[in-house]
Amino acid sequence: MTAAPAVAPLPAAPDGTPAVQLAGVTRVHPPDVRALDGVDLVVPRGSFLAVMGPSGSGKSTLLHCAAGLDTPTSGQVLLAGREIGRLDETRRTELRRVHVGFVFQAYNLLPALSVADNVTLPLRLAGRAPEPEWVRFLLDRVGLGGHLARRPGELSGGQQQRAAIARALVARPAVVFADEPTGALDRASAGQVLDLLRELVDELGQTVVMVTHDPAAAARADRALVMADGRVVDALDSPTAAVLGARLVALGEG
Amino acid sequence: MLTGLAAGMARRRPASLVAVLCAVLGGSAIVTGTGVLLESGLRSDVPAGRLDGASVIVSADQTAPVPEDLDVGLPERRAVPADLAAELAGLPGVTAAVADVGFPAAVLGDDGVAPADDPATSGHGWSSTALLPGPQVDGAAPQGDDEVAVDASLAAAAGLDVGDVARVVVDGREGGYRVTAIVRPAGAGVLFDDAHAAELAGRVDLVGLTTEPGATERVAEAARDAVAGTDLVISTGGDRGDVVLPGVAAARSTLVVIAGSLAGVPLLLVGFLVAGALGVAMTGQRPELALLRAVGTTPRQLRRLVALQATLVAAVAVVPGVALGYLLAGRFRALLVHIGLLPDELPLTTSPLPALGGVLLMLLVVQVAARSSAWRTSREPVTTVLGESRTGPREPSRIRTAAGLLLMAASVPLAVPPLLVRDALGAAATSMAGLLAAIGLALAGPALLRRVSGGLAGRLPARSGAPGWLAVANLHGYALRSAGAITTLAMAVVFVLTYAYAQTTVADAASRDGAETVLAGTTIDAGALGGVPEGLAEEVAAVPGVDAVVPAADTTVLLTGTTLGDAVVEPAGALVVSGDVSSVLDLDVRAGGVDRFEGPVVAIGHDLARSQDAGAGDDVALTLGDGTPVQARVAAVYDRELGVGPVVLSADLVEGHRTTDLAQRLLVRTDGSAATQNRLAGLAASWPGIAVLGADGGPDSSTPPEVWLNVAVLVVLLGYVLMGIANALVASTAQRRAEFAALRLVGTTPRQVRSVVRREAALVSAAAVLAGVLLSAVPLVLVGLGFTGRPWPAGPWWLLPATAAVVVVIAFASTEVPARLALRTPPAEVLARAT
Ligand SMILES: Nc1ncnc2c1ncn2[C@@H]1O[C@H](COP(=O)(O)OP(=O)(O)OP(=O)(O)O)[C@@H](O)[C@H]1O
Ligand SMILES: [Mg+2]
Repeated sequence: MTAAPAVAPLPAAPDGTPAVQLAGVTRVHPPDVRALDGVDLVVPRGSFLAVMGPSGSGKSTLLHCAAGLDTPTSGQVLLAGREIGRLDETRRTELRRVHVGFVFQAYNLLPALSVADNVTLPLRLAGRAPEPEWVRFLLDRVGLGGHLARRPGELSGGQQQRAAIARALVARPAVVFADEPTGALDRASAGQVLDLLRELVDELGQTVVMVTHDPAAAARADRALVMADGRVVDALDSPTAAVLGARLVALGEG
Repeated sequence: MLTGLAAGMARRRPASLVAVLCAVLGGSAIVTGTGVLLESGLRSDVPAGRLDGASVIVSADQTAPVPEDLDVGLPERRAVPADLAAELAGLPGVTAAVADVGFPAAVLGDDGVAPADDPATSGHGWSSTALLPGPQVDGAAPQGDDEVAVDASLAAAAGLDVGDVARVVVDGREGGYRVTAIVRPAGAGVLFDDAHAAELAGRVDLVGLTTEPGATERVAEAARDAVAGTDLVISTGGDRGDVVLPGVAAARSTLVVIAGSLAGVPLLLVGFLVAGALGVAMTGQRPELALLRAVGTTPRQLRRLVALQATLVAAVAVVPGVALGYLLAGRFRALLVHIGLLPDELPLTTSPLPALGGVLLMLLVVQVAARSSAWRTSREPVTTVLGESRTGPREPSRIRTAAGLLLMAASVPLAVPPLLVRDALGAAATSMAGLLAAIGLALAGPALLRRVSGGLAGRLPARSGAPGWLAVANLHGYALRSAGAITTLAMAVVFVLTYAYAQTTVADAASRDGAETVLAGTTIDAGALGGVPEGLAEEVAAVPGVDAVVPAADTTVLLTGTTLGDAVVEPAGALVVSGDVSSVLDLDVRAGGVDRFEGPVVAIGHDLARSQDAGAGDDVALTLGDGTPVQARVAAVYDRELGVGPVVLSADLVEGHRTTDLAQRLLVRTDGSAATQNRLAGLAASWPGIAVLGADGGPDSSTPPEVWLNVAVLVVLLGYVLMGIANALVASTAQRRAEFAALRLVGTTPRQVRSVVRREAALVSAAAVLAGVLLSAVPLVLVGLGFTGRPWPAGPWWLLPATAAVVVVIAFASTEVPARLALRTPPAEVLARAT
């Protein structure tokens, strides 16, 4: 475990506004696929939320809408207290790259850039100079301190995913969304990534929302949502793998 | 199985394959068009024209043999024995044997000379009407030496009817002739009583035989036996035109030369563009190819798949391409005729051979290009390919880089010929050398680019914006892709600069040589009369203010030399003059003199003198335009070869060896005053068919027609090259969807993405112009030194900025549009689709 950074920790919620808030969010794909159907959701700052549910239940759509990657058909999305649903693409992008970190199942690192350049890219895009200590700390923290100059193609899957997590954190976002971040990883690498996310919440007060299919992974979260047919059908605090597993099996049968 | 898979893959990558399609389409058009020109140059049938009624023609051989090469056509008429007709008339199956003659004859009308195809050979004997195709005679045969029959078009132009007295200039002498008949078809010419015609012509050109129906072959056989042992030849069918119009037939070699000069540069361009387009298409397919490898496709199967796919696309493109090639060749011939490089009588052949050649060559190029672009992907371990396919960039191979550097080095000696050979052929090397260097750059480009962009990235100011930084990083990271864009654009720059400047430099040197050579301010042309009429030269000389008059004509000589150890026989245009040549031409004589240019003498340029190892006072061996070998005393060696050509002949030397011995024009040196010019114009007005031209003396002194030819070639090829480059850039940008989407997911706004693309375009075009100029520099310095003695080429200065501007416009337009299209799809959707 690396020592705490010399830089300031993430700002705590000054007035208690949740990191993310969704109200009646519906997303309809033409012609008539209701991927999300009136979802209400509040993610408090500094919490770790897991989202589970059968395939096609709307988990990814929920994450995309909450992160400002996708626009809801109706309903409101508040990011750090600001409505983002009605912003245009450019404004949403500008807001997103500062307040949201996103980790994809497929890493989505830019192959032409080194690990260090990939991680600092969101800051450069926002016109902010990367703080060297903070970047250094993040990369050490995710265990890539020795691979700064490598290209993504020269890293293992787990290493690439950890670089993607460092990139998601570099702008000190209000929330990090992760869509099946361990989906492409072996058990050991997946364990490392989950440990990392858990520690970010505990040590830095980072808010994390993670989609996963693995009840054991979801059990690491503070709270777990279960989705089906575009709706949140269950919410479990301090979930255990056994309970979640049973719940999912029930959904699968129902 | 493979075919279906290949077709499926082709359907899914339309953008990349459009580039391949266009490159192959244009390429097959160019290759086929060149093929049509070449085939026509080798064996197009000159129409037999006015002698089409003769089924068999017996004539002297109008070709000269060349060791181990095609015969060279002899443009000047060779005679046959006078009694040949009588001898052949007795052959079984012959209905008539006519000794045909041709001599200068021009019919004068009230408003000038009645236009004829070739006034120098318009006069014929009456009996030649028997050889006309479908002759119609309205009147009676001319008798004695004061009667004449004319063809219908001459009669109409001169306003003549049977019974009128026509004024005819025959062999330079004007006289009155009573018209006894109007003859059809047009082209029959001016017909005299046979005895009179024979007297005027002084030789028999050929013997035409008409035969009983179906007896052509039999008569030809019999005639062949009858002339065995002589150098006479028997022509039937499509071969007859060659001996009827030897001048036209000899011009066929022009087509071969042009097709030959077109073979190099355009083929390089076609290969370059097809390979480039296939390379881009291949890059776009690498993920799919990687998956195919992963599921067990062998390297050979993969290469076959790729080649098959390319072949399918090429097969679609060659059909319209080949058709376009025939159209292109037709337009090209029209241009050649228009600028006077080709006689109108010479048609193109339209056989399927050029199409076949074009298709085979293009398929070969496509196969080779496709297999080599898939070579590496097919041979590497599956894991490497899979990893690469996701990460994109890969290291340029060392062999490739070394080969490229070697090619660039090898292009330098190739650019040397202009220093040694001061002619258009020497200048052709310039473009070839430049393009070879560009191909070298295409190979070594990725490695070079990585070096340069790596250095650039390190030196980028820390506070330069994210787009600029990303643009440099992309250039560096995707070196293969960026180098592809840079080198194709650089190739266009090299092509335009070397091709255009080599031509303008040669043209500049030639016209300067020409202008400096001609002391005669005025030319009096008698082409419309078939030759300078008797008495004109004396009358012109008597005009006050005229200092010198020299009669001149053009002919062809065959020069025997050696190129790279092989004996070659080259036809060359030659000026025929006599008398005090130095009074009208300043040849910049190095040794000897041309002030009494009489007897069997020649003056030769110093390049020829060197290659023949002859100096003033020595004898040189030449073959005249009718095939007669002669030994001629070298009266002078001169410097201005570009202006006057390699040889100047004395009229005495070629007497009896040209189709007509008359001079074609007078070179007149005046005191330059307007009064003298006016007096000359007044004099010309009293001589019908005589034109006074300005300062236009030796053979090629104004803008040489070759310049127009090269401009046309440049325009066509440039259109093809620019289209190819734009297509490849569009395809390669369209392939960046996933990359753009990933950028946007980490927070790049669409504007920033466009800004990255624009900066990349700026860097790419700057690098392309720089590389293009650098690669063109060596050949252009050498061509400048060789032709003008200065280390830079002659030509319009604006060519460079204009080329740079075109490169910039193409680079920006063909990346901006596909980038905007790619940005329309939401990024999450793009990535979802990709996986
Ligand atoms: N672009 C689209 N057009 C039409 N329907 C879509 C689109 N994207 C998603 N859907 C549909 O919306 C529903 C929810 O999809 P979503 O990707 O959110 O599911 P998910 O819960 O993430 O599934 P998985 O666990 O398989 O990733 C699905 O029924 C899917 O078919
Ligand atoms: Mg999903």
